[in-house]
Amino acid sequence: MKTFYTSVVELRQPFDHAIETHPYECGWADEAIFFVELHDPEPGTAVELRVQVSPDGIRWIDEGTVLTTTSTTFARVSHFGGFLRLAGTARQADGGAASATVSVRLALKG
Amino acid sequence: MTSFPSGFFDPLPRILVADDFDHGMSGWLDLRPNFVAPGFREHSSDIDLIHWGPTMLSSATFAFGGTHGSASGTYSLKISSRAAAAPADQPPAAGSMGLAIKRLAVPGDARRLRIEALLAYKVEQDRPGLGVDDLRAFGMFVDLQDDEHRYMPGVRYVNAVGGEAVRRWQYYSPTDATDEEWSYGADGWHKAGVDPQWFGERGPDGSTVATTWFEDGEQHLIYNESDDKLNWTPFSLTVDLVNRSYEEFRVGGRSFRFPDGAHPTLAPAYNDIEGLLNPVFFVEADTDRRVSLFLDSVLISVERGEAA
Repeated sequence: MKTFYTSVVELRQPFDHAIETHPYECGWADEAIFFVELHDPEPGTAVELRVQVSPDGIRWIDEGTVLTTTSTTFARVSHFGGFLRLAGTARQADGGAASATVSVRLALKG
Repeated sequence: MTSFPSGFFDPLPRILVADDFDHGMSGWLDLRPNFVAPGFREHSSDIDLIHWGPTMLSSATFAFGGTHGSASGTYSLKISSRAAAAPADQPPAAGSMGLAIKRLAVPGDARRLRIEALLAYKVEQDRPGLGVDDLRAFGMFVDLQDDEHRYMPGVRYVNAVGGEAVRRWQYYSPTDATDEEWSYGADGWHKAGVDPQWFGERGPDGSTVATTWFEDGEQHLIYNESDDKLNWTPFSLTVDLVNRSYEEFRVGGRSFRFPDGAHPTLAPAYNDIEGLLNPVFFVEADTDRRVSLFLDSVLISVERGEAA
C-alpha cells in the first residue's frame, strides 16, 4: 500500500500581494496535488500561483504549472524532486496589487 | 517492526510504538487547535495557534552537502517553524514554532512511561555563516490525563535568546498563575499548566512561570559547525504515571537529575480525554529565520504493574 499524507501547508494565511508558501519536503512522494482556497476575497481579487521546484528548499525554479483562481482550484504535479512550493501574487480585477487570505493543502502519495 | 537503530534505545518492557519515519509519518502531524467555533474557527484566539510551521518527512537535503539522510535509512520527521519570532519575554509570535503530535491512550496498569528519540536541530541554510544562535529552543512534552488531573511533563532546551547562546535544559514545573494570567489575560479555554509550550508569562532569559532550570542543566549539544550537518543525538524522558512526577532525563551522554518529587502543573481534568497520551515535539525560532527539529526515531514504552 502506498504512503499518503496531506499537509495543510498554509491555513488561512494572510498575504500582502506577494505569495510564497512554506518550502515543503516531499521527495518520498511520486505525485502531488496542491489544493488552493481563497478566503473571503474582495470581488474580482484573484491569485496567480506558479508551482516551483528546488534542489535544496532555498533556490526555487518554476515547474511550469500555473494556477489562477478567484475561489478554489487545484493542480496536479509529478516528477518534482525533493521540494515543492507555490509562488505568485494576488491582484485586483484591474491588475493592481491586492492582499489575500489563502489556505494551501498539499496531498502527497507515493 | 522497522529497522530503528535499537542500540541507541533503552525502552521499558512494553513498547507501544516504534516510529522510524522511513515508512511514513507514523501518525505524527501538526499540532493545531480545536476548530469548533462558528465557521470552523479555532476554539480560542488568545494567541495565534493556526500558523505554526508544517511537519514533513525529510531526507535532510542541503545545497552543498547533498542528502544527509537519517540515522537509519533516508527519512526523518522534520518539524519546522516559519521565519518569525517575538522577543523571549513576549508570547510566541504567529508561526514562530513548529509542533508535531501523536495521539495515543495510556494502556491499562501503566505506571511508568518513557519517550525516547534520536534528534537533531538545524537553522535554515539560507545565508552564509553559522546560524546556530537563530534557534531559540526545542523540546518535548507529553499531554497526559488520569481520573483527576491533566498534566504535561516535558523538557525544553533553551539554545539561544536574543542571538546569545544559553544552551541549558529546563523542565515544566508547577505554576500558581490563574487561568486568565496563564492565557495572557484572555478568559480562554485553557487551565493554568495546560500547553506550557506557549502559555504562561515569559522572562527575558528564556524561562516561563512554569519552567525550572536543571541545576546542572548546561549542555553543549552537537549542532556541528555548519547549518547542514546533523548528528543524531539520543533523548530519553521517563515519567512516573502513578505519582505524576518526573523520574529520569537523559540526552546524549548526560543524565539530568530532577529534584525529588518534581512534577509539572496539575490542572483539573478536562472532559472526554481521560487516559490521553499525546507526546509533542516542538522547535522555536529566535529570529526571522526558519528552524527545524529532525526526529529519527521515536520510541514510546511503558512499564505496567504495581509500584515496587
